[in-house]
Amino acid sequence: MVSGPSLTPELLRCAERAEEAASNAGLTFFDVVFEMLDAADVNAVAAYGGFPVRYSSWRFGMEYERLARGYDWGLSKIYELVVNHDPTIAYLVRSNSLMEQKLVMAHVFGHADFFRNSAWFAPTERQMLERFDDHARRIQESVDRFGQDRVERLLDRALSLEPLMDPHGPLRAYRAAQGRAERGDDAGGASLSERARASLGQLMDGAVRSASADHDLPTFDVLQFLCRHADVEPWEREVLWIVHAEAEYFLPQRMTKIINEGWASLWHSRLLTGGLLDASEVVEFADCHSGATQAAPGQLNPYKLGLDLFRHAERRGMDVFRLRAVHNDVSFVDEVLDAEFAARSSLFVTDPARRGAGPRIGTRDPNDVKQALLRSLAWGGQPRIELVEVHEGAVRDMVLRHDHDGRDLKLDEAGEMLRTIESLWKGPVHLLTREGEEARRLTCDQGELRMRDDASGKPRARAEAS
Amino acid sequence: MERDRARFKEVVRGRIREDLRKYLASSELVGKQGDKVVSVPVPSIELPRFRFGSNEGGVGQGPGDVGDAADGEAGEGEGGSGGAGEHEGNHILEAEVELEELASMLGEELELPRIEPRGRDELEATGGRWTGIRSQGPQSLRHFRRTFRRALVRTIAAGDFDPANPVVVPIQDDQRFRARRPKPRPESSAVIVHMMDVSGSMGREQKDIVRIEAFWIDTWLRSQYRSLEVVYIVHDATAKVVDKDTFFHLRESGGTKISSAYELCLDLIQDRYRPEDYNIYPFHYSDGDNWSARDTDRCVTLVREELLPRVNQFCYGQVKSAYGSGQFKKDLDVAFAGDERLVTASVSDRTGIADAIKAFLGQGR
Repeated sequence: MVSGPSLTPELLRCAERAEEAASNAGLTFFDVVFEMLDAADVNAVAAYGGFPVRYSSWRFGMEYERLARGYDWGLSKIYELVVNHDPTIAYLVRSNSLMEQKLVMAHVFGHADFFRNSAWFAPTERQMLERFDDHARRIQESVDRFGQDRVERLLDRALSLEPLMDPHGPLRAYRAAQGRAERGDDAGGASLSERARASLGQLMDGAVRSASADHDLPTFDVLQFLCRHADVEPWEREVLWIVHAEAEYFLPQRMTKIINEGWASLWHSRLLTGGLLDASEVVEFADCHSGATQAAPGQLNPYKLGLDLFRHAERRGMDVFRLRAVHNDVSFVDEVLDAEFAARSSLFVTDPARRGAGPRIGTRDPNDVKQALLRSLAWGGQPRIELVEVHEGAVRDMVLRHDHDGRDLKLDEAGEMLRTIESLWKGPVHLLTREGEEARRLTCDQGELRMRDDASGKPRARAEAS
Repeated sequence: MERDRARFKEVVRGRIREDLRKYLASSELVGKQGDKVVSVPVPSIELPRFRFGSNEGGVGQGPGDVGDAADGEAGEGEGGSGGAGEHEGNHILEAEVELEELASMLGEELELPRIEPRGRDELEATGGRWTGIRSQGPQSLRHFRRTFRRALVRTIAAGDFDPANPVVVPIQDDQRFRARRPKPRPESSAVIVHMMDVSGSMGREQKDIVRIEAFWIDTWLRSQYRSLEVVYIVHDATAKVVDKDTFFHLRESGGTKISSAYELCLDLIQDRYRPEDYNIYPFHYSDGDNWSARDTDRCVTLVREELLPRVNQFCYGQVKSAYGSGQFKKDLDVAFAGDERLVTASVSDRTGIADAIKAFLGQGR
C-alpha cells in the first residue's frame, strides 16, 4: 500500500503506478508513506537523520547549516530521503519536476525493498519515530534538571564514542535470539527490538551499574560496555543508552551505503525505462540519472559503484535478489568485484599525496584494487578498537587494543578519545597500538596522557597529544 | 531546529572568541564585511574520533595511466551536477557575526576600555522620547488612559461613583497629554583618518598588516560611536585622499614626505571634520623612513601645534620592513615623551598586530 496525504492527485497516481511496477518486478516492502516537503524542511529533516523530532543538539544545527548552504549556493541538493521504518517513510521535495518525482519514487521503492529484505536491517527497530520522540523527551527532562551545559557535554562525549560499536553485534545477537526461539529457549519469540527496549527500560528505571564486567569481555562495543559499567549517575547512564540505541539503529545504513544505493538506482532506472517514463521525459531522465551516478574524477560514487556491481553480477548470472538480502558493502564487493569489473570500471589505487604533488594513480592491479577497497570499507571505515581487559580493584583501569592493519592511528585525537573514555569510566584507560612496526601504549590517567614504547616500557617524551 | 541552529551559532561564537588572537593576525576577515555583519570562516567543529592517521591510498575511478594525477586534472575531468553524495572532510563554515559582537569580543580579548567621547558639553544634542506626561497639550496627544484614571479617581473621591452605573466623565482638569521628555544624549560622531606611507619600501606584507589593523580599529571605533566616517590618505612625497580600495592596493614608489599627509589631514579637519562636531582619530602607518630630518621636524610641529589640540588621539604605527630605518618612531617618541595623546607602536610581524591595537585603543580616548 502506498499513501501520500500531502501529495497532489497526479503525484499520488504516479506513486501508485510506481508501486505497481515495483511489485510486479518482485520487490517487497512495508507500506510506503510519501510526504511532500519544502527544500528548507527537507534539510531540517535530513539534519535530524530523517526524523522530524530529535533531542536538541548543536550538531544538528551545524548539519542543517551545511545542507542549507549547499542548497543555497547550488552545490548540492537533496532529491529524496527514505527512512527505515514500518511503514517506510519517504520525503519528496516540492521543487522537483514531475520526472524527478517519478525517479525518486521508483528509487524509494528500491530502498524500501532493501530495508525490508536485507538481513542487516532485520535487527533494527522499525518504530523509531516513537522511540526518538521518547528519547527527545527524556533528554529534555535531564536538561531541565541538570542544565543544558552538563547534558550537552555528556552528549558530545557519548557521540564521539559512537563509532566504538560492533557493526556485526546486532545481527549476531538477533541470530542468536532466533536460534534460541527455534529451540524454544528463554526469550521465546521476543524480537531483538522488544528485548532491547525491555533492557533499556530496566536500565533506565533501575539505572544500576551492572556487576561482573568481565562477563562482557572482550568486546568491540565499548559504548555499550560503558553504558553498563561506567561509574556515572543514573541520568548520565540514560543518556548513554539513548545514544547507543540511536547509533545502533543507524549502524546498518553505514554498512550498506554502496549496496543499498546501488540497489535503489538499479530499480529506478529499470522501472522508469520499463514504462513509468513518458516519452517526453526520456532525455531529462537520462540527464538526471547520469548526474546522480557519475563518477567525479578520481573518486568513487557509491551510487555508481553499487549500480555497476549489480549489473555486473547479473551478467555473471548471479541472483541479485539474493545478493541484496545477505550482503553488506564489504561482502558484496568481495563477492562481485573481479578482474573484469575492475578493468571495465577503470578502478585504481591511489598513491598517497606527496609533498608538492596531488595523489597519483598507483596501480590498476585488480587484486590490489579489491584489497584496498575492502580495507577502506571494512568495519565501517573505522579503526577496529577492542576492549580487552578491565581491572576492578584498587586501580580501576581498562585496556583497549587497536587492531593494527598497517594504518596508524592519529595519536593526538586518540589521546582525546582516551580522555573522553576516562571521564566516563573514572579510571585509567590504556590503548595498545602501533606506530608502523613499533608497539605503543597510550595511557590517560586523570586527564594526563603518557605514551610508552610498549616493549621496553620506558617512558617516552610526553605524548604529542596535549 | 531553530533551537539547534541558535545553539550551534553560540558554539561557533565561543570558538571565534577562543581563536580571536588568530583572527587578529590574519587577513581572513578583511573584506568579508557587509553592512552590519562579517562572515567569519570557522573550521568545522568536529568531535574527536579514532581516525586513521597515515595517508593511505584510496580507491578511485577514471581513465589515466599509472603515475597520472588521480584527480583527473590532466585527464578528461568532467564537472556537472553531483548526486546526493556525502562528503566527509574538513568543511569550512562561514559564520555570520555582527560587527557589534565582533567588537565586543575584541574589547574583551584586549581588555579595551570604552571610549569616553571628548567634549561632552559641546557635543551634546537633545534627543528625547515621548515618555512624559503633562496637563496641557493638543488633543491629538491626549493620553486617554491617564485622563480616564484621573477622572475615575476624582469621581470616586467625590463619592459620585456608582458601580452599578459606572459613568465617568472627564473634565478639563483631568486631561493628561503625552509630552516629550528631553534627554541629553552625547552626540557621537567620529572620523578616522587612515594615513599610509606607500613609498617603495612598503611591501605587500606591510600593507596587509596595515589593512588588518585598520579593519580592527574600524570595527572597534564603530562600536563606540553612533556614526563613523573613515577617510583614507596615501602619501609618498605628496599626499592625496583615496577610496578604500585604492588605499589597500596602491603601490607607489618614490620618496617619503610624511608632512604632506599630516598637512592634508589638517586640511580635512579644518574643512570637513570640525573638532566641535567630530571625535577625530588620525592613524598613520609607515615603515619609519622620512625624507629628511627637516621634514620630520615639520611633522612634529604640525602634530604638536595643529593636530593634537583638535583630535582625540594621534596614533602612529610603524611596520617593520626590510628597508625602513624605523627612525621616525624614535623621533616621535622623543618629541612627545610623556604626552599620552600621541601613541606609537611598532609591528614587526602579524603576531604583533594585537598588541599594536591594544596600544592604540587601550587608553579609551
